[in-house]
Amino acid sequence: MSTPIAYFLLVSAALFTIGTVGVMVRKNALLIFMSVELQLNGVNLALVAFSRMHGNLVGQALTFFSMVVAAAEVVVGLAIIVFVFRRRRTANVDDLSVLRW
Amino acid sequence: MSADQIVFWVFAPISIGSAIAMLFQRNAVHAALFLIVNFFTIAVFYLVLDAPFLFAVQIIVYAGAIMVLFLFVIMLLGVDRDEVLTERVWWQRPAAVLLGVGVFAELFVAIRAGVGFATKGADAFAETANRGGNPQALSRVLFRDYLFPFEATSILLILAAIAAIVLAHRRRRAITRAERDAEETAVLEPEVVP
Amino acid sequence: MLELAWLVPVLPLVGFVVNLFLGRRLGRAAGWLASLLMVGSFALAALVARDLLALPGDERVHVLHLFDWVQVGTFRVGADLRVDALSLTMILVVTAVGSLIHVYSIGYMEGDPRFGRFFAYLNLFCFFMLTLVLAENLLVLYLGWEGVGLCSYLLIGFWFERASAANAAKKAFVTTRIGDTFMLVGIALVFLRLGSLDLSAILEPEIAGVQPSGVFTILALLLFAGAIGKSAQIPLHVWLPDAMEGPTPVSALIHAATMVTAGVYLVVRMHLFFEISGVALTVVLVVGLVTALYAGLSALAQDDIKRVLAYSTISQLGFMFVAAGLEAYAAAIVMLVAHAAYKALLFLSAGSVMHGTGGETDLKLMGGLRHAMPWTAGLMAIGALALSGVIGLSGYFAKDSILAIASEEGRALVYWAGVLAAVLSALYVGRLVVLAFLGEPRGERARHAHESPAIMLVPLGALALGAIGLGALALDKVTGVLPALLEPVVGELEAGTAGLPEPALILLSQVVAFGGLLLAWFVYGGGIDWLALRTRLASLHRFLNRGMYVDDLYSTLLVAPGKAGSASLAYVVDLGIVDRTVNGLGAAVQWLARTGRRVQTGLVRTYALAFLLGAVVLLAYIGSRI
Repeated sequence: MSTPIAYFLLVSAALFTIGTVGVMVRKNALLIFMSVELQLNGVNLALVAFSRMHGNLVGQALTFFSMVVAAAEVVVGLAIIVFVFRRRRTANVDDLSVLRW
Repeated sequence: MSADQIVFWVFAPISIGSAIAMLFQRNAVHAALFLIVNFFTIAVFYLVLDAPFLFAVQIIVYAGAIMVLFLFVIMLLGVDRDEVLTERVWWQRPAAVLLGVGVFAELFVAIRAGVGFATKGADAFAETANRGGNPQALSRVLFRDYLFPFEATSILLILAAIAAIVLAHRRRRAITRAERDAEETAVLEPEVVP
Repeated sequence: MLELAWLVPVLPLVGFVVNLFLGRRLGRAAGWLASLLMVGSFALAALVARDLLALPGDERVHVLHLFDWVQVGTFRVGADLRVDALSLTMILVVTAVGSLIHVYSIGYMEGDPRFGRFFAYLNLFCFFMLTLVLAENLLVLYLGWEGVGLCSYLLIGFWFERASAANAAKKAFVTTRIGDTFMLVGIALVFLRLGSLDLSAILEPEIAGVQPSGVFTILALLLFAGAIGKSAQIPLHVWLPDAMEGPTPVSALIHAATMVTAGVYLVVRMHLFFEISGVALTVVLVVGLVTALYAGLSALAQDDIKRVLAYSTISQLGFMFVAAGLEAYAAAIVMLVAHAAYKALLFLSAGSVMHGTGGETDLKLMGGLRHAMPWTAGLMAIGALALSGVIGLSGYFAKDSILAIASEEGRALVYWAGVLAAVLSALYVGRLVVLAFLGEPRGERARHAHESPAIMLVPLGALALGAIGLGALALDKVTGVLPALLEPVVGELEAGTAGLPEPALILLSQVVAFGGLLLAWFVYGGGIDWLALRTRLASLHRFLNRGMYVDDLYSTLLVAPGKAGSASLAYVVDLGIVDRTVNGLGAAVQWLARTGRRVQTGLVRTYALAFLLGAVVLLAYIGSRI
C-alpha cells in the first residue's frame, strides 16, 4: 500500500460531506434516505482506512456492524416511508409540516 | 506508481463524481443507480485496503440488498416523478452548501493534524492482522472480542423485520375522519415559508 | 351609673348594627328601634348626670378605662372615656336632640326605600358624636371626629341618585378633610411635644412650662384648623350650604345641633392651649367674628329655605367662636345648647314646610302657609324669636351674654360687630318667616299645602319648649346653672366693668331683635316691592347669594387646577406612560414569540440544517482546542 491513508480519509470526508448536503437539499424522502446511506458509507470507508493504518481489524469489525445496522435502519425507514405515503399520498417531506407554528 | 495507487486514482474521481451526480438527479431511479456505482467504488477501496471480506459484503448487502430494496420502494410508490424545484425555504440550499464546505474544511484540518499526509499504513498487514486470511482473521475478532455486539445485531435484524411487517400491514378498520381529511389534503400546494 | 357611662355611645352603636343587617326586614320598626335606643341613651345620660352631680364640685371628673387600644413601643393609648361637666352637657344635648330628631324622621322619611339604612346611619353618627365628646384622649376624640365626618358624608349623600347630593357629600368630606389633616398633625405634635394624648395629662395648668408658648400657638392653631373645617368657619365653610342636599333631619341633627358644634367643643376643651398661646385666641375671635358677619350677609340673599338656615348656622357658630375668643367658654357652651334647640327647631320646621308643600324649598314660591300649616308656622316663629334674641327666650340668654361680655371687657369693636351680626340674624330669620308664612301663596305647591302629621309636630313642640326654656340654665352668665356647672372645666369668668351699663345693653339688644324682625316684616311683608328692589340691586344680590363668590373662587383656584392635574396624571401618566409601558411589554413579548416561533418551520430539513450548524460549530471549537 503506497497510497497515503490520508487520501482515503479525504475521499471519505468528501463522500460524507456530499451526503450531508444531500440530506439538506433534497425534498424526496427516499432521496434523503439515500444521502444518509452515502454518509454511512463514507464513514465505513474511513473506518476501514483507519483499520489499515493501525494494523488491526477493529475498524473492519466496526464497519461490519455499521453495515448490519444500516441494513436494519433501511428496512424500518422504508417501511415508515411506505406507511406515510399510504396516509398522505406524498413522499415530499415538506408536506409533513404539521408541527409548524 | 504501484497498482494500488493507479486503482485509487482511477476510482476516487468516479466515487466522488457518482456521489455528486446522485445529488443532482431529478429522477429517483437515476439517483439510485448512481448510488450503486458509488457503492461499487467503495467496495474497490475496501479491496485496496486489504479488506476483501468487506468488499464482498459491501457488494452483496449494500448494492445487492439495500439498493434493491430502495428501488423496489421507488417503483412501488411511484415517486420517481420529478421533484418540485422551487424551494420553500430560500436560504436552505445556500446554507447547506456553506455548511457542507465548512464540514469538509474541518475534516481536512483534522485529518492533516491527526493523521498527516505521510502515513502510509501499517507494514506487514497481511501477516499480522490478516493472518490466515481476512475472513478468518475477521471472524477471530468478531466472535471473540465483539461477540456480544454480534449477537445483539442479530436480534436487531429480527426486530427490524418484525417492525417492517407491522408498519406495512394494512389493517381493515374504519377510516377515521382525520384520515379522510388527510387524504383530501394530502397533495398540497407548498405554502410560502418565511 | 358612672361606670356604665360607656353604654351611652354604645346603645346607638347597637342600633346601627341591627339596622344595618335587619333594617329592611324591620320596616318602620327600624325607626322606632333607633329612636328607642336614643331615648335610652338619654335616660342613661341623665342617670350619669345624677351620679356625677352627687360628687362634690371639684371632683366631678370620672375617667373610664375600657380597654387598651394602641400599644406600639412607648406609645400607649387606651379606649378611655371622660365624664365631666363639659362632656356631660354635650351628651345630654346630643342624646336629647338626637332622640327628638329620630322620632321626627320616622314621619319624614316614610316611604323611602332605604328607610332602615337611614336610621342605621343616624345611630352610627350619634355613636361617633358621643364618643367624640366623651373622649379622654385626643386619639379617641379624633376617632369620633372622623366618624362623624364619615356619617355626614353618608347622610348628605343619602339620596345619592341625585348627582348634586353625591357631589355635596364629596365636597363636605374633602373640605373637612383639609381641616382634619391639620388637626391630625396637631395631635401628633401634641404627643411629640407634650408626651401624652390624655386630657388628664395635658390639661393640667403646669403643662404651660413644658414647652415655649410658641409651641402652644402652633398646637392650638392646628387643632383650630380642624375646628374650622368641622364647624364651617371661613375659609372652610363652603360645604355647609351645599350639605342641605341631605334629608332635613340630617341637616337638623348634624349640621345644626351636633357635628358642627364639635369644633366649638374642641376649642373649649383645649382652651388651656389657646390661653397659653394668646395669639391663637385672637385668631379664633377674628375668624368667628368675620364668619358671623359674612354668613349673616349671605343668608339675607338666599332663596332656598334651608340655605338661609345653613348660613345662619355658620353665622351662629361664628358667634360661639367669638365667645371662645373672649375666654367666655361657658357662654359659648350655653349658646351651643340654646342653638341646638332653636336651630333644630327651625330646621325641622323647614322640613315640615317641605313635607307639607310636597317638596317646595324656594321662598319666592311660598307664602301664606300660616293658613294651611298653623302649627308649623307657630313653632317656627318661636324658633325665629329665639334666634333673634328676644328677651326671655333661650337665644337672648345665649347671644346677648356674649355681647355683654364683649362690652364689659372693653372690646368695643367686637361688641358693635356682634350687634351688627345680631341685626342681620333677626333680619334674615324674620325674612324667612314672613316670606314663608305671611301674605298669599305665590306658587302652586304652596297653594295646595297641608299640615304635617303629629309624629313630626310633637318633636317640634318639644324643641320649642327647649328653645323657650333653656335660657333658665344661664340666667346669669357667671352664677347660672350651666356656667357654674362648667366652672371646674372652663374656669371662672371674671365680669368686667367696661362698656355700657347693663340696662343699656339689654335695651339695645331688644331694639336690635325687634327692630330686625319688624324691618323684615316691612320689607318682605308687602310694604315694599322687594322683587323690584332685588332686580335693581341685582349684582349685589347675586354677590351675596353666591356667598360672596368664595365657592367660585375655590373652584377656579383649587378645583380646576386639581382636576387638570389629575386629568393630566390620568391621561398622560397613567394611560400614556404606564399603560403604554405595560402594554408595550406585553406587545414586546408577543413580538418576540411571533418572531421566535418562526424557527418552528415544521420542515425536517430545516432542523437538519440546525443540527449541522451546531455540529460545525462544535467541531470548529474542538478543532481550535487541539
